[in-house]
Amino acid sequence: MTTTDPSLSDGRPEAPEPGRRAAPAIGAWLPTWDLITTKNLEIRKRRGLMITMVVLIVVPTVLILGFRLLFHAVDPHTYSPAGSPGIFSGLSNLMAEFGFIAAAALGAAAGTTDLTDGMFRHLVITGRSRLALYLARIPAGLAVTVPLVALAFAMNCLVTSYESPPPPTSVSFYGVTVPEHLDQAGLRTWLLQHPQQAANGLPVGPAPNPAQVRSAIDKNIASLYSNYITDEISGSNPPDNEMAKIGLWLELEAGIGFLVGLGFGSLTGQRTTTTIVLIALEIIVTPLLERVQLPYFIDGQRLIVGVAMDQLRPAGLASGNSGGGPGQALFGGHGALGIPPMPTWAMISVIVGWIVGWSGIGAWRMMTRDA
Amino acid sequence: MNVIHAPGISHHAPGPARWAAVIAAPLGGGGFHNGGEILLALLVLGGLGFGVTRLRRGRHAAQHDDTWIQPEPPPAPPSPSSPSEPPGGTTISPARTPRAADSSERPPGGWAVETRGLTKRFGATVAVDGVELRVPRGSTFGYLGPNGAGKTTLIRTLLGLTRADGGTMSLLGFPVPAERKRALAGVGAIVDEPRFHPHLTGRDNLRLLAAARGSDTSRRIDPSLARVGLTQRADDKVASYSMGMRQRLGVASCLLGDPELLILDEPMNGLDPAGMHEMRTMITSLAGEGRTVVLSSHLLDEVERTCDAVAIVDHGRVIRQGPIDELIRGAGAVVVQVDCAEPARAARLIDQAGIVAGTALADTGLTVTLPAGASRELVADINRRLVGAGISVYGLREIQTSLEDWFLSVTSRLGEPS
Repeated sequence: MTTTDPSLSDGRPEAPEPGRRAAPAIGAWLPTWDLITTKNLEIRKRRGLMITMVVLIVVPTVLILGFRLLFHAVDPHTYSPAGSPGIFSGLSNLMAEFGFIAAAALGAAAGTTDLTDGMFRHLVITGRSRLALYLARIPAGLAVTVPLVALAFAMNCLVTSYESPPPPTSVSFYGVTVPEHLDQAGLRTWLLQHPQQAANGLPVGPAPNPAQVRSAIDKNIASLYSNYITDEISGSNPPDNEMAKIGLWLELEAGIGFLVGLGFGSLTGQRTTTTIVLIALEIIVTPLLERVQLPYFIDGQRLIVGVAMDQLRPAGLASGNSGGGPGQALFGGHGALGIPPMPTWAMISVIVGWIVGWSGIGAWRMMTRDA
Repeated sequence: MNVIHAPGISHHAPGPARWAAVIAAPLGGGGFHNGGEILLALLVLGGLGFGVTRLRRGRHAAQHDDTWIQPEPPPAPPSPSSPSEPPGGTTISPARTPRAADSSERPPGGWAVETRGLTKRFGATVAVDGVELRVPRGSTFGYLGPNGAGKTTLIRTLLGLTRADGGTMSLLGFPVPAERKRALAGVGAIVDEPRFHPHLTGRDNLRLLAAARGSDTSRRIDPSLARVGLTQRADDKVASYSMGMRQRLGVASCLLGDPELLILDEPMNGLDPAGMHEMRTMITSLAGEGRTVVLSSHLLDEVERTCDAVAIVDHGRVIRQGPIDELIRGAGAVVVQVDCAEPARAARLIDQAGIVAGTALADTGLTVTLPAGASRELVADINRRLVGAGISVYGLREIQTSLEDWFLSVTSRLGEPS
């Protein structure tokens, strides 16, 4: 047991004179690559956590698309192709919810397990900057969430792109068949050219004369066009650039979940509490605040990151009945469901604030906590 | 119990003689093999007022002296014999004047750990109360105290795991916390029970710690594992490790930084006798490489076997510190067991001579209590008187006060009901 290994002691420097020992580089606040990779290893080797991550992020996509592919292959007349715009949208929204929860659970674990496993003390004694120890967890954890979300979303995109019915050549709009890919002026022109058909779908009352139809078209063209776009999107596969936007939004959603979980977990030191609170935030608090407009508290509602993220939700995923928040300019989002859209700067500020704020809180707690 | 016969240097030689001999080793150009050299060493020691020190592999010689001794010995009874050094003799307890621990004199190697007025409070509870601690470089230092005395809190404060509320401290000459990172680069420590990520292997846990220490530390993972005998189990999950294996993994983690200072908090906890023996051997081996080892423990026997100096802490305060032998000797009179024929007559003879503090009959002879600070020549005098009176003497042995006896006498636990 006590066999002396020369490599441990040979070459060991003589006891340094006080004050003359070389300053180690371990005080730097930036984490090293080794620190990040070993922390990533520690996270990846948590088998239960990794299974949970896969079950929440990847498995729903695999199961739903897998069964649809199988059924369609067995009986193509009864079962439609596996991919469709509706399936794509539904799976992506599911991925957003579960991705946030899974990432939050991962962040909570990353933020607490050094403490609960008793390793925090060992790590602090190494002299390594506590800030570096905290910052190393961020890329280490994101290296887990990003590939899983990307994998699930890639499967969704592939099936949607290659296993969908042929794209429609027209849009069913208020029961009226309208050609695809019209801009607002084109839609107006088409409606003016087909007043009878337009009158069937417009709120102009029974037996309107052409002047009334024209007036109704001109008066409502903005909202008509918005609804036309929504119907067009929901009826056809999103284009590649829209898919890319949706993918980025999903990664952002999961990334926020991880960072908030990490910061909150580091603050509390309790993994279970952190996970439960963030699940409640995602599936109870955020939907309530999205759908219910509280008088005199509208700005408070907007401070919830989920509300801001829903305003940023890309058009291909939005329910599309609120008519164009600032998310439309960025990701084509159509705004949150029940509250008026918030300014772009406010939406971005809320999202950045949650990321930076919780990271700062977690780092502060890590640096001041007794080990 | 140490046999008083050959005055050469051995691990079992009386502490002052051993330490004095070691400090004088450079003067003598080598080891000590006769009483004359010991005498020379003691003369040098007394003349210069130097303390004792211990040579470790020739690199850490003369690293601490007796200026850091902080005993509060009971008043010594008046000695009937001369305290001066008789020609050709050696002292059982050399004349020493212990000084306060806050002496400004430093050992040549400096202090590995030094605290001044270190204080740590938890609310109204003062866990560490103005601690003045001096650990000479190269020593194996026991930090002894009852449970709840504040041992672990002091170590946590030293290592920056918690903040001090007052006082100053330094590790390896670096003030802490101002230069904590530089100080910790030369420190390895186990605080409380060594715990690791249970889902990782021993090797992976060390990889994590090596990455935190620095890039070149990873090359020491395998040697460290080999050093503590964990190579065969290095790729097993820590969850499957026994307590002893986790303790050894903790030591391996300490060795990653090739530390000059090792701080081990209760390393024997949870170990079976074989594990304790292995741990003791390992600590001795590490100390033999010139590393300073601070061993916090409440296991008096282990500290006595492993360490050459101690500090006693009670209720958050260091109440004594210094070389173990010095402290024990300073605690009271020396008792010598005399194995002889006719013990009753021998006792009367010695009592009538008036040269000892007392005698008592024992199963195989009698015990003689010498006054504190008595010369070793007094033992020879007793021998001469008995032999001169026709009493056969089979042996003379010093009965040394155990660390446990002394510890109980100086800590508050003595007065508590057992």
